[in-house]
Amino acid sequence: MAKEVLFEAKHMHKAFGPTIALKDVDFQVCRGEIRGLIGENGSGKSTIMSIAAGMQPATSGEMFYKGQKWEPKSMVESQQHGISMILQEANTIPHVTVAQNLFAGQEKMFSKGGLINMASMYKKANELLDRFGVTNIRGRDPIDRLTFEDRKLIEIVRCVTEDTQILVVDETTTALSHEGREILYKLIHKMAEEENKAVVFVSHDMDEILEQCNVLTVLRDGDIIGHLTREEMDAPDAVQKIRLMMVGREIGEKYFREDFIPSHQDEVALELKDIAFGPIRHFSLQLRKGEIVGMGGLSGCGMHEIGKAAYGLQKLEKGQVLRNGKPIKNCLQAIESGIGYISKNRDLEAIILDAPIQTNIVLPSLTSLTRGGFIRPKDEKKLSDAQIETFRIKCGSGKQYVNTLSGGNKQKVSFAKWTAKGSDVIIMDCPTRGVDIGVKQAMYSLIEQMKNEGKAILMISEELSELIGMSDRLIIMKDFEVTAEMERSADLKQTDIIEYMI
Amino acid sequence: MEQTATVKIFSKDWFRTHASSIAGYGGVLFCIIFFSITTPIAGQSIWSGEKLATLISDVIVLAILSVGAVFVYSLGSMDISIGKQVGLYATIMVAIANSTGSLILGIVISLAISVVIGIVNGATGELLHIHSVISSLVFMMVLGGISTIIYSSMGSRNVALKTIDHHIFKNTWVMVAVLVIEVLIVSFLFNYTKFGKNAKAIGANPVAAQQSGINLVKYKVIAYVIMGVFVVVAAIFQMGYTGSASDSTGTGFEMNVMVALILGGMPLSGGMKSRVSCAVLGSFTFSLLNVGLPIIGIPVNTVNLIKGIIFIIVVLITCRKSRGILPR
Repeated sequence: MAKEVLFEAKHMHKAFGPTIALKDVDFQVCRGEIRGLIGENGSGKSTIMSIAAGMQPATSGEMFYKGQKWEPKSMVESQQHGISMILQEANTIPHVTVAQNLFAGQEKMFSKGGLINMASMYKKANELLDRFGVTNIRGRDPIDRLTFEDRKLIEIVRCVTEDTQILVVDETTTALSHEGREILYKLIHKMAEEENKAVVFVSHDMDEILEQCNVLTVLRDGDIIGHLTREEMDAPDAVQKIRLMMVGREIGEKYFREDFIPSHQDEVALELKDIAFGPIRHFSLQLRKGEIVGMGGLSGCGMHEIGKAAYGLQKLEKGQVLRNGKPIKNCLQAIESGIGYISKNRDLEAIILDAPIQTNIVLPSLTSLTRGGFIRPKDEKKLSDAQIETFRIKCGSGKQYVNTLSGGNKQKVSFAKWTAKGSDVIIMDCPTRGVDIGVKQAMYSLIEQMKNEGKAILMISEELSELIGMSDRLIIMKDFEVTAEMERSADLKQTDIIEYMI
Repeated sequence: MEQTATVKIFSKDWFRTHASSIAGYGGVLFCIIFFSITTPIAGQSIWSGEKLATLISDVIVLAILSVGAVFVYSLGSMDISIGKQVGLYATIMVAIANSTGSLILGIVISLAISVVIGIVNGATGELLHIHSVISSLVFMMVLGGISTIIYSSMGSRNVALKTIDHHIFKNTWVMVAVLVIEVLIVSFLFNYTKFGKNAKAIGANPVAAQQSGINLVKYKVIAYVIMGVFVVVAAIFQMGYTGSASDSTGTGFEMNVMVALILGGMPLSGGMKSRVSCAVLGSFTFSLLNVGLPIIGIPVNTVNLIKGIIFIIVVLITCRKSRGILPR
């Protein structure tokens, strides 16, 4: 039985200045499909769907939607016609209520004689939330009080209406809580299987794609490399096959650390001494040279705040952060004493979007680059080019602006800042967030190399596999308290850890 | 990389990425070409020695102020007290020179005041979480008040140098030399040292700048102090040209600086696209209009209207949102 084609792109081509994001791509989405789009950072997987959803125009090529020529001018127009896209980064409207966010642009529905009937808007919002199975958030709640994860959920509820024919989920699940993911999965299966609509799932989380999708398209460097059916995805060697298609070469067996013996030097590099702030009452941690301490938990468990505190970004009510015996009171002291910090909030805190790659990479190293009172452009370029090479940042040159890079490549830039600086203690909050396998592998081996050089690493992550794979010692948190501490071992399983998290 | 293709000059993308430079250079070029053709027809070429000297004397104070202000504008801040500062420093210099017979003491006192104002303006924004425009507004009013007290106590609305020879400040070559030296110093500091790089980073993203180890208070203060020093230099030329100061000296200079910088293509939000050349180009565009328009018969009181129209056009070109950014 031939499926009805809902959306089709022919010879779609997209260039961003000198960078070619899509090379003459043909692509189809049929009804009833949950189509996975997988590929490395900058392979063009987000670009295809952002063009389909009217976020930006293609450089050339044609699109057809429901058999008609499709030329969306804006995301609003696409959404009205039934193509909705949920984006990677949050974009809710701050300082207003959940209901106002949900019905932004549709206030007319509730207006009478120029006034908006808020009570009926709240009521409608609650009904909508209930329909999606979101019961802990109400229309009257101020959006600012919601966590990052819940705000993402609000975006989903806002995007998807009864008229939505194609839902595009762009790397959203990494930003969702556990419950939020379940809600999203339920939603996409209902749309595809019961309502005969289509879902396009953009991700590079292979497990998730294999679990949820019924057809998969692999992209590399702006080209479609191939399609896999559900049967092919169930084959025992599917993961290797897809990886090979994505990366274009064998990436080898080595991924995480291969030893299973916890190790470190004796000297303490960083100590958090019985610190307390906000909901965190007692927390102590000794991080030694050559040690990787992993911290895991659900995203609201307080581990991200601990990372900030260790970098001097939190005002402590009690206790001290000590580096070589000296207290760290703010992030300037932290950096001067050789601590680096990769923020989870990449675009707002870790990098300057409106600046070239090179400027970002050398920023923490400017002091050491100054020779005889001035900074030679040649030195800057050398330092930054070395990092661009190590991380294989996909760019024309270091002069390219960071806001033209894809998400994963931005993450590489925020990591490269501290490797360029050569910090001795690095606090990483979700270091591999949004980064694809090939680069993850490189980052892991870099982290291991840093460990061997005697650097101390605090790795805060929501991915259990990398915590188990990399840490010498693993700390699990729940509700702002440490619930478990485990040593590195070959027997450590994800399931053992999850029970301490939830 | 295999994916690179060169951006064609004069293509749409090229115009987009270089909009601010095009506005800056285009403005000056347009004025030069326009006045080169029209002023000789009106009877007096703008390239005559006399008119060139007028141009330089018109541009010098504005250019010194604008180039000095590049640091502060790159932070995304601005200072609206510089007009009143120029007025006060000019008054102090004249008054002290008349009583001591030397300009030196007046200049030193002015420098000391400018550094104090710079420190306060630079630090309050960060320490008290006040927009730095507000603290400079306070200085604008305080300094204006001090000027009023000085002049009312003297019972006159202006003071003039009595014994000191101030011809050196009217020499065109001295003006050009001072401006060139300033541009060299500021360009060096702005492009090749931590001071400039950090200021641009703070303007582009203060949170990321701080987390990268930049002391916000320190580098903001440095930016304001650098500007303050050049405000004093500008005040010397302002005072030196006429050998006098009055209670209206410096009025409106802060706005002229802002207009000149924007005409030169400086983004008001600061950040990486801030350049010293914006200040130089913008100041010359501004002065070319000042000098050129009356020659071709535009009444002096309409000149501001025309400057306003050109200003709006430049803002429209430079402030358009850049499109074509990769989705995240």
